[in-house]
Amino acid sequence: MPLKRHSVQWPWQALLAVILLGLATGLWVATKRVNYEWRWERVPQYFAYRAEASQTAPVAGTVRGISTDGAYSRVEIVPEDGGPSVTVAVETDTLKVKAGDPVAEGDDIGAERHWKIGPLTWGLWVTIWISFVSGFIGLIIGLVTGLCRLSPNPTLRGLAVLYIELIRGTPLLVQIFIFYFFIGTVLNLDRIVAGVGALALFVGAYIAEIIRAGIQSIAKGQTEAARSLGMSTTETMIHIVLPQAFKRVLPPLAGQFISLIKDSSLVSVIAITDLTKSGREIITSSFATFEIWFTVALLYLLVTSLLSQLLFWLERRFARSD
Amino acid sequence: MIEVKNLIKVFEGRGQVVRAVDDVSTQVGKGEVVVIIGPSGSGKSTFLRCLNGLEEFDDGRVIIDGIDLTESKTNLNAVRREVGMVFQHFNLFPHKTVLENVTLAQRVVRKRKPAEANDKAMRLLTKVGISEKAGEYPSRLSGGQQQRVAIARALAMDPKVMLFDEPTSALDPEMVGEVLDVMKQLAREGMTMAVVTHEMGFAREVADRVMFMDAGRILEDAPPAEFFTAPREPRAQAFLKQVL
Repeated sequence: MPLKRHSVQWPWQALLAVILLGLATGLWVATKRVNYEWRWERVPQYFAYRAEASQTAPVAGTVRGISTDGAYSRVEIVPEDGGPSVTVAVETDTLKVKAGDPVAEGDDIGAERHWKIGPLTWGLWVTIWISFVSGFIGLIIGLVTGLCRLSPNPTLRGLAVLYIELIRGTPLLVQIFIFYFFIGTVLNLDRIVAGVGALALFVGAYIAEIIRAGIQSIAKGQTEAARSLGMSTTETMIHIVLPQAFKRVLPPLAGQFISLIKDSSLVSVIAITDLTKSGREIITSSFATFEIWFTVALLYLLVTSLLSQLLFWLERRFARSD
Repeated sequence: MIEVKNLIKVFEGRGQVVRAVDDVSTQVGKGEVVVIIGPSGSGKSTFLRCLNGLEEFDDGRVIIDGIDLTESKTNLNAVRREVGMVFQHFNLFPHKTVLENVTLAQRVVRKRKPAEANDKAMRLLTKVGISEKAGEYPSRLSGGQQQRVAIARALAMDPKVMLFDEPTSALDPEMVGEVLDVMKQLAREGMTMAVVTHEMGFAREVADRVMFMDAGRILEDAPPAEFFTAPREPRAQAFLKQVL
C-alpha cells in the first residue's frame, strides 16, 4: 500500500455546503422572528439616483410648439416682446405646458433629470482615498521610523522607540480624538487633515516594526558583500537591503493596509463622511438598518479583497528571482 | 601592497574575551599569492576581513597600497573599491540577475555607463566561463557557478588586491575544481591575492608563501615547498598530519 493516500473529498465538501445552508436558514428564520421587513429595493438609490431639476421659462411669451423626441421634449417659446425664440429641453413625462399656452417668466415647464451619485458611493470614495493617502504617508513614516529604529544613533533610536510604543499602546479611537480635539485645535487643522494624520501616524508605527523586522531578516553577508565592493551604507540600503526586505515584508504589509481600510471607519467619529458614517446617515432616513449595514460590510469586503488580490499579484511578480 | 602592523582584534561576549587576531604583523608584496591556513577558530578569516575593514579591529595598522585604513581621513569605501573580496557563502545578490550582480557596483560606485559596465561584466563572465547564464537569477546556479560569478563581481571593480575567504568550503567536491581553476588563472595573471583555504593542493601549487595561523598568531610563514616538507612549528606539524 502506498504511503501517499488520496482521501475522498466530496463528503466533506457536502458537509461544508450543509453547514453554509444551515447558517443561511438560521439567518432567515431569525429575521422572520423579529418581524423585520426586508426592503432591499431601497438600497440601490443610495448608490446613484436620478435627480430632478425643474426647468422654468426664461422669458414671458407663448409656447409655439413642442417637438417630442422619445423621452425628451423641446419646448419652443416665442417671447412677447419680440426677439428670437427660446427652446427649453425637458423630460416628456414631466411636461406641464401645451402648444399655444402663454407662459410668464419663471413658470414651470417641466423637469430635467440627471444621474447623481448617492451617499454610499460617495462614502466609499472617501474611505478609499482616506485609506490610500494615510497608507502612503504611513508607509513613508514607517520606512523612516524603521530605519531610525535600527540606527546606531541613540537619539534617533530613542525617538523611534518612543513613537512606536506610544502609538501601539493606545487605542486608535483615542488617538483620533486627541489628534482632532487637541492637535487639530492647536494647529487649526481641518477635520480631514486630522483624520488622515491620525490614521497615518497609527499605521506608520506598525509599518515601522514590519520594516525593521524585514531589514533584520536580510542576511548579514548581503551587507558585507555590498560594502566589500565599496558601496556606502546608504547605497547598500537602497540597492541591496531594502529591495530584498520589501519583498519579504509584502505579506505583513498587505495585512496592515487591509486593517487600515477597516480602521478608517473610526474617522466617522470626527464627522468625516466616510462609508460608515454615510451608512449611519442613510439609516436615519430610510430605516433599512439591516440592509444598509450588510451593504456597507460588503463594500468594505469588496475593497479589501481587491487590495489583497493586488498585493498577491505583486508578491508573485517579486517571486521571479526565487 | 598590503602591510599589517601589530593588528589586534578582540571579540567580547558572554563574559569571554577572545583575541581572534593577536598582534599580527606581516606584508604581502605586489603580485604575491599568500595562502593562509590553520585550524578552525584560529582567526584566519577574521584576519582577512580586517584587511578591507569589514571587521573593525581594536589596534594596529593596515596599509593597503600606501593608504592607512586607521587614519581618520581615509575613506574606507574608496579603499574597499581597490580590494575585492570573495566569501565562503558567495553572498550574491539574490534579487539581481547574474549580469546585474556584476554591473551594480560598477555603476553605483565606479559611476560607469551602463553599456561600459555591461561590456566589462560580459568579458569577466566569459573569463570565468559563465557568460551563458548572464540573464539568470543566482538561485538557478550551482554553488560553483555562483562562486565564479562572485569572483567576476569582485574583479569588475578592477581591484588591486583580491581576498578569498574559504571560497571552496561551501561547495560540493566536484565543483571545487572549477573555482580553483579561475583562482589559478588569476594568480598567473599577476593578481595580488590573500587566500584563506583548506585546499592544500592549491596552496602547494599556486602560493608564493604559506602562512600558518593558530590562536590569532602567525606561527609560520614560509614558501610552500619548505612549509609542506619541513614545517618548523610543532603545531603546524600536527595540523599537517591531520589534513594531508
